[in-house]
Amino acid sequence: MNASASDDQTDVERVLAGNVSAFEGIVRRWQTPLVNLAYRFCHDRGRSEDMAQEAFLRAYRGLAQWRKDAVFSTWLFALATNLYRSELRRIPARTVSLEDIAEPPDTRPADRGQEDTAYDRDSAVRRAVFALPAKYREALTLFYFHDMDVATASRSLGLPEGTVKARLFRGREILRSKLPQLLAVPHLKEA
Amino acid sequence: MRRLTEHDEAEINSILSREDEILPSSGFAVSVMDAVRREAAAPPPIPFPWKRVLPGLVVAGLALALILVGGLAAIVQLGKATTSQLSMSVPPGMPSIFNGGIKSAAIWTGLALLVAFVSVKLSMRLGSGRV
Repeated sequence: MNASASDDQTDVERVLAGNVSAFEGIVRRWQTPLVNLAYRFCHDRGRSEDMAQEAFLRAYRGLAQWRKDAVFSTWLFALATNLYRSELRRIPARTVSLEDIAEPPDTRPADRGQEDTAYDRDSAVRRAVFALPAKYREALTLFYFHDMDVATASRSLGLPEGTVKARLFRGREILRSKLPQLLAVPHLKEA
Repeated sequence: MRRLTEHDEAEINSILSREDEILPSSGFAVSVMDAVRREAAAPPPIPFPWKRVLPGLVVAGLALALILVGGLAAIVQLGKATTSQLSMSVPPGMPSIFNGGIKSAAIWTGLALLVAFVSVKLSMRLGSGRV
Protein backbone atom coordinates (compact mmCIF):
# COMPACT_ATOMS: atom_id res chain seq x y z
CA MET A 1 0.00 0.00 0.00
CA ASN A 2 1.48 3.38 -0.95
CA ALA A 3 1.67 6.43 1.36
CA SER A 4 -1.43 8.09 -0.05
CA ALA A 5 -3.54 4.93 0.23
CA SER A 6 -2.47 4.32 3.82
CA ASP A 7 -3.07 7.99 4.68
CA ASP A 8 -6.54 7.69 3.17
CA GLN A 9 -7.29 4.59 5.20
CA THR A 10 -6.04 6.21 8.43
CA ASP A 11 -8.11 9.34 7.80
CA VAL A 12 -11.24 7.33 6.97
CA GLU A 13 -10.89 5.35 10.20
CA ARG A 14 -10.47 8.56 12.20
CA VAL A 15 -13.53 10.15 10.56
CA LEU A 16 -15.59 7.04 11.21
CA ALA A 17 -14.44 7.16 14.84
CA GLY A 18 -15.97 10.65 15.09
CA ASN A 19 -13.08 12.95 14.19
CA VAL A 20 -14.65 15.09 11.44
CA SER A 21 -11.49 17.20 11.01
CA ALA A 22 -9.61 14.14 9.74
CA PHE A 23 -11.66 14.45 6.56
CA GLU A 24 -9.61 17.53 5.70
CA GLY A 25 -6.64 15.30 4.87
CA ILE A 26 -8.76 13.50 2.28
CA VAL A 27 -10.01 16.79 0.85
CA ARG A 28 -6.50 18.24 0.55
CA ARG A 29 -5.12 15.10 -1.09
CA TRP A 30 -7.92 14.70 -3.63
CA GLN A 31 -9.22 18.23 -4.28
CA THR A 32 -7.12 18.83 -7.41
CA PRO A 33 -7.99 15.52 -9.15
CA LEU A 34 -11.68 15.81 -8.28
CA VAL A 35 -11.96 19.44 -9.42
CA ASN A 36 -10.07 18.60 -12.63
CA LEU A 37 -12.25 15.62 -13.35
CA ALA A 38 -15.34 17.78 -12.84
CA TYR A 39 -13.83 20.44 -15.10
CA ARG A 40 -13.35 17.89 -17.88
CA PHE A 41 -17.04 17.04 -17.59
CA CYS A 42 -18.44 20.60 -17.56
CA HIS A 43 -15.64 22.93 -18.78
CA ASP A 44 -16.81 25.51 -16.25
CA ARG A 45 -14.44 26.38 -13.42
CA GLY A 46 -17.07 27.57 -10.93
CA ARG A 47 -19.35 24.65 -11.58
CA SER A 48 -16.50 22.15 -11.35
CA GLU A 49 -15.75 23.31 -7.79
CA ASP A 50 -19.43 23.03 -6.85
CA MET A 51 -19.57 19.53 -8.28
CA ALA A 52 -16.35 18.50 -6.55
CA GLN A 53 -17.64 19.88 -3.23
CA GLU A 54 -20.82 17.83 -3.61
CA ALA A 55 -18.68 14.77 -4.40
CA PHE A 56 -16.70 15.26 -1.17
CA LEU A 57 -19.92 15.69 0.80
CA ARG A 58 -21.32 12.47 -0.64
CA ALA A 59 -18.04 10.72 0.12
CA TYR A 60 -18.28 11.95 3.71
CA ARG A 61 -21.86 10.70 4.04
CA GLY A 62 -21.03 7.34 2.50
CA LEU A 63 -17.61 6.79 4.06
CA ALA A 64 -18.81 3.74 5.98
CA GLN A 65 -19.82 2.12 2.68
CA TRP A 66 -16.24 2.06 1.40
CA ARG A 67 -15.20 -1.59 1.41
CA LYS A 68 -11.51 -1.76 1.91
CA ASP A 69 -11.03 -4.41 -0.80
CA ALA A 70 -10.73 -1.52 -3.30
CA VAL A 71 -8.33 1.40 -3.01
CA PHE A 72 -10.00 4.48 -1.51
CA SER A 73 -9.23 6.59 -4.60
CA THR A 74 -10.99 4.05 -6.86
CA TRP A 75 -14.10 4.30 -4.70
CA LEU A 76 -13.87 8.10 -4.57
CA PHE A 77 -13.45 8.45 -8.35
CA ALA A 78 -16.35 6.08 -9.03
CA LEU A 79 -18.55 8.08 -6.66
CA ALA A 80 -17.48 11.40 -8.18
CA THR A 81 -17.88 10.14 -11.76
CA ASN A 82 -21.36 8.89 -10.99
CA LEU A 83 -22.30 12.23 -9.47
CA TYR A 84 -20.80 14.27 -12.32
CA ARG A 85 -22.58 12.17 -14.93
CA SER A 86 -25.96 12.60 -13.24
CA GLU A 87 -25.29 16.29 -12.67
CA LEU A 88 -24.51 16.81 -16.37
CA ARG A 89 -27.62 14.84 -17.32
CA ARG A 90 -29.68 17.08 -15.01
CA ILE A 91 -28.19 20.36 -16.22
CA PRO A 92 -26.22 19.78 -19.44
CA ALA A 93 -23.11 21.83 -20.08
CA ARG A 94 -23.21 24.29 -22.94
CA THR A 95 -21.97 22.59 -26.10
CA VAL A 96 -21.82 23.34 -29.78
CA SER A 97 -22.79 20.77 -32.36
CA LEU A 98 -20.16 18.57 -33.98
CA GLU A 99 -21.09 19.99 -37.37
CA ASP A 100 -20.17 23.48 -36.21
CA ILE A 101 -16.82 22.28 -34.90
CA ALA A 102 -15.90 20.32 -38.00
CA GLU A 103 -15.82 23.35 -40.25
CA PRO A 104 -14.70 26.35 -38.15
CA PRO A 105 -14.59 29.68 -39.95
CA ASP A 106 -11.01 30.52 -40.91
CA THR A 107 -10.39 33.91 -39.35
CA ARG A 108 -6.62 33.44 -39.06
CA PRO A 109 -4.36 36.13 -40.42
CA ALA A 110 -1.99 34.92 -43.09
CA ASP A 111 1.13 35.37 -40.95
CA ARG A 112 0.04 33.17 -38.05
CA GLY A 113 2.59 30.55 -37.10
CA GLN A 114 2.49 26.78 -36.74
CA GLU A 115 2.00 27.03 -32.96
CA ASP A 116 -1.23 29.01 -33.37
CA THR A 117 -2.49 26.50 -35.90
CA ALA A 118 -1.72 23.62 -33.57
CA TYR A 119 -3.41 25.44 -30.71
CA ASP A 120 -6.56 25.94 -32.80
CA ARG A 121 -6.50 22.29 -33.84
CA ASP A 122 -6.10 21.08 -30.24
CA SER A 123 -8.92 23.24 -28.93
CA ALA A 124 -11.17 22.17 -31.83
CA VAL A 125 -10.52 18.51 -31.00
CA ARG A 126 -11.34 19.16 -27.32
CA ARG A 127 -14.53 20.98 -28.25
CA ALA A 128 -15.41 18.08 -30.53
CA VAL A 129 -14.98 15.62 -27.65
CA PHE A 130 -17.23 17.83 -25.58
CA ALA A 131 -19.91 17.74 -28.29
CA LEU A 132 -19.91 13.92 -28.56
CA PRO A 133 -22.90 11.90 -27.31
CA ALA A 134 -22.60 11.41 -23.53
CA LYS A 135 -21.56 7.76 -23.52
CA TYR A 136 -18.59 8.34 -25.84
CA ARG A 137 -17.66 11.63 -24.22
CA GLU A 138 -17.64 10.07 -20.73
CA ALA A 139 -15.49 7.14 -21.84
CA LEU A 140 -12.99 9.45 -23.55
CA THR A 141 -12.96 11.89 -20.61
CA LEU A 142 -12.23 9.16 -18.07
CA PHE A 143 -9.72 7.38 -20.32
CA TYR A 144 -7.55 10.46 -20.80
CA PHE A 145 -8.06 11.66 -17.23
CA HIS A 146 -6.68 8.35 -15.96
CA ASP A 147 -3.62 8.53 -18.26
CA MET A 148 -5.13 6.20 -20.87
CA ASP A 149 -5.70 3.37 -18.39
CA VAL A 150 -8.80 1.50 -19.58
CA ALA A 151 -9.07 -0.61 -16.40
CA THR A 152 -9.16 2.44 -14.11
CA ALA A 153 -11.52 4.31 -16.45
CA SER A 154 -13.90 1.35 -16.52
CA ARG A 155 -13.86 1.08 -12.72
CA SER A 156 -14.68 4.80 -12.44
CA LEU A 157 -17.51 4.43 -14.93
CA GLY A 158 -18.75 1.18 -13.39
CA LEU A 159 -18.68 -0.48 -16.84
CA PRO A 160 -16.94 -3.59 -18.19
CA GLU A 161 -13.59 -2.93 -19.87
CA GLY A 162 -14.88 -4.27 -23.18
CA THR A 163 -17.72 -1.73 -23.21
CA VAL A 164 -15.34 1.11 -22.44
CA LYS A 165 -12.96 -0.02 -25.21
CA ALA A 166 -15.82 -0.17 -27.70
CA ARG A 167 -17.00 3.31 -26.71
CA LEU A 168 -13.48 4.70 -26.96
CA PHE A 169 -13.08 3.23 -30.42
CA ARG A 170 -16.43 4.53 -31.61
CA GLY A 171 -15.90 7.94 -30.00
CA ARG A 172 -12.55 8.34 -31.74
CA GLU A 173 -14.04 7.23 -35.04
CA ILE A 174 -16.70 9.92 -34.79
CA LEU A 175 -14.04 12.47 -33.89
CA ARG A 176 -11.89 11.49 -36.84
CA SER A 177 -14.79 11.63 -39.26
CA LYS A 178 -15.71 15.11 -38.06
CA LEU A 179 -12.24 16.52 -37.93
CA PRO A 180 -10.38 15.46 -41.06
CA GLN A 181 -9.04 18.89 -41.93
CA LEU A 182 -7.86 19.62 -38.42
CA LEU A 183 -5.96 16.37 -38.01
CA ALA A 184 -4.38 16.83 -41.39
CA VAL A 185 -2.59 19.95 -40.10
CA PRO A 186 1.15 19.23 -39.67
CA HIS A 187 1.75 18.23 -36.06
CA LEU A 188 4.34 20.08 -33.98
CA LYS A 189 7.10 18.01 -32.48
CA GLU A 190 6.69 17.40 -28.77
CA ALA A 191 9.28 19.03 -26.52
CA MET B 1 -16.98 6.78 -42.53
CA ARG B 2 -13.20 6.42 -42.89
CA ARG B 3 -11.42 4.17 -40.38
CA LEU B 4 -8.93 5.65 -37.96
CA THR B 5 -5.33 5.14 -38.96
CA GLU B 6 -2.69 4.55 -36.30
CA HIS B 7 -1.37 8.02 -36.95
CA ASP B 8 -4.82 9.59 -36.42
CA GLU B 9 -5.26 7.69 -33.18
CA ALA B 10 -1.83 8.76 -31.94
CA GLU B 11 -2.70 12.32 -32.90
CA ILE B 12 -5.98 12.30 -30.97
CA ASN B 13 -4.28 10.61 -27.99
CA SER B 14 -1.56 13.22 -28.02
CA ILE B 15 -4.00 16.15 -28.16
CA LEU B 16 -6.37 14.85 -25.51
CA SER B 17 -3.59 13.82 -23.12
CA ARG B 18 -2.28 17.37 -23.03
CA GLU B 19 -5.37 18.78 -21.29
CA ASP B 20 -4.42 21.68 -19.00
CA GLU B 21 -4.73 21.11 -15.26
CA ILE B 22 -6.65 23.64 -13.22
CA LEU B 23 -6.00 24.30 -9.55
CA PRO B 24 -8.86 24.56 -7.05
CA SER B 25 -9.32 28.06 -5.64
CA SER B 26 -7.47 28.78 -2.39
CA GLY B 27 -10.58 28.58 -0.23
CA PHE B 28 -11.91 25.38 -1.75
CA ALA B 29 -10.76 22.94 0.94
CA VAL B 30 -11.98 25.28 3.70
CA SER B 31 -15.33 25.63 1.99
CA VAL B 32 -15.66 21.83 1.66
CA MET B 33 -14.75 21.34 5.32
CA ASP B 34 -17.32 23.98 6.37
CA ALA B 35 -19.97 22.05 4.46
CA VAL B 36 -18.80 18.77 6.00
CA ARG B 37 -18.91 20.25 9.53
CA ARG B 38 -22.41 21.62 8.91
CA GLU B 39 -23.41 18.18 7.74
CA ALA B 40 -21.86 16.56 10.82
CA ALA B 41 -23.56 19.05 13.17
CA ALA B 42 -27.00 18.68 11.59
CA PRO B 43 -29.41 16.41 13.45
CA PRO B 44 -29.85 13.02 11.82
CA PRO B 45 -32.80 12.79 9.43
CA ILE B 46 -36.09 11.66 11.00
CA PRO B 47 -36.51 7.99 10.17
CA PHE B 48 -39.72 6.82 8.57
CA PRO B 49 -42.09 5.66 11.36
CA TRP B 50 -42.25 2.03 10.28
CA LYS B 51 -43.34 0.82 13.74
CA ARG B 52 -46.43 3.01 13.59
CA VAL B 53 -47.22 2.37 9.97
CA LEU B 54 -46.62 -1.37 9.97
CA PRO B 55 -49.87 -2.42 11.75
CA GLY B 56 -51.91 -0.34 9.32
CA LEU B 57 -50.05 -1.79 6.37
CA VAL B 58 -50.60 -5.33 7.66
CA VAL B 59 -54.34 -4.68 8.14
CA ALA B 60 -54.59 -3.10 4.67
CA GLY B 61 -52.71 -6.04 3.16
CA LEU B 62 -54.96 -8.56 4.86
CA ALA B 63 -58.07 -6.66 3.76
CA LEU B 64 -56.80 -6.58 0.19
CA ALA B 65 -56.01 -10.30 0.31
CA LEU B 66 -59.52 -11.03 1.68
CA ILE B 67 -61.12 -8.97 -1.07
CA LEU B 68 -59.05 -10.74 -3.72
CA VAL B 69 -59.85 -14.19 -2.32
CA GLY B 70 -63.54 -13.26 -2.09
CA GLY B 71 -63.51 -11.97 -5.63
CA LEU B 72 -61.77 -15.09 -6.94
CA ALA B 73 -64.21 -17.35 -5.09
CA ALA B 74 -67.14 -15.44 -6.56
CA ILE B 75 -65.67 -15.76 -10.07
CA VAL B 76 -65.20 -19.50 -9.59
CA GLN B 77 -68.80 -19.85 -8.36
CA LEU B 78 -70.05 -17.84 -11.30
CA GLY B 79 -68.12 -20.12 -13.63
CA LYS B 80 -69.78 -23.17 -12.10
CA ALA B 81 -73.26 -21.69 -12.37
CA THR B 82 -75.32 -22.69 -15.37
CA THR B 83 -76.14 -20.17 -18.06
CA SER B 84 -79.79 -20.18 -17.07
CA GLN B 85 -79.01 -19.48 -13.42
CA LEU B 86 -76.71 -16.69 -14.46
CA SER B 87 -79.26 -15.06 -16.69
CA MET B 88 -81.80 -15.18 -13.85
CA SER B 89 -79.50 -13.66 -11.23
CA VAL B 90 -77.39 -10.91 -12.76
CA PRO B 91 -76.66 -9.72 -16.25
CA PRO B 92 -73.29 -10.91 -17.61
CA GLY B 93 -70.41 -8.60 -16.86
CA MET B 94 -71.86 -7.23 -13.63
CA PRO B 95 -69.69 -7.55 -10.50
CA SER B 96 -70.28 -10.71 -8.50
CA ILE B 97 -71.15 -8.62 -5.48
CA PHE B 98 -74.68 -8.23 -6.90
CA ASN B 99 -75.19 -11.97 -6.71
CA GLY B 100 -75.83 -11.85 -2.99
CA GLY B 101 -78.49 -9.22 -3.22
CA ILE B 102 -78.88 -5.83 -1.54
CA LYS B 103 -77.83 -7.04 1.93
CA SER B 104 -74.47 -8.40 0.77
CA ALA B 105 -73.79 -5.28 -1.30
CA ALA B 106 -74.56 -3.06 1.68
CA ILE B 107 -72.12 -4.99 3.88
CA TRP B 108 -69.32 -4.68 1.31
CA THR B 109 -70.03 -0.98 0.76
CA GLY B 110 -70.06 -0.33 4.51
CA LEU B 111 -66.79 -2.19 4.93
CA ALA B 112 -65.18 -0.19 2.10
CA LEU B 113 -66.39 3.09 3.61
CA LEU B 114 -65.07 2.07 7.03
CA VAL B 115 -61.63 1.16 5.62
CA ALA B 116 -61.53 4.47 3.71
CA PHE B 117 -62.51 6.44 6.84
CA VAL B 118 -59.91 4.70 9.01
CA SER B 119 -57.21 5.25 6.35
CA VAL B 120 -57.99 8.97 6.12
CA LYS B 121 -58.07 9.43 9.91
CA LEU B 122 -54.86 7.47 10.38
CA SER B 123 -52.98 9.39 7.68
CA MET B 124 -54.21 12.72 9.11
CA ARG B 125 -53.05 11.75 12.57
CA LEU B 126 -49.68 10.57 11.24
CA GLY B 127 -49.36 13.78 9.23
CA SER B 128 -50.00 15.97 12.26
CA GLY B 129 -47.66 13.86 14.42
CA ARG B 130 -50.29 13.19 17.08
CA VAL B 131 -49.88 9.41 17.13
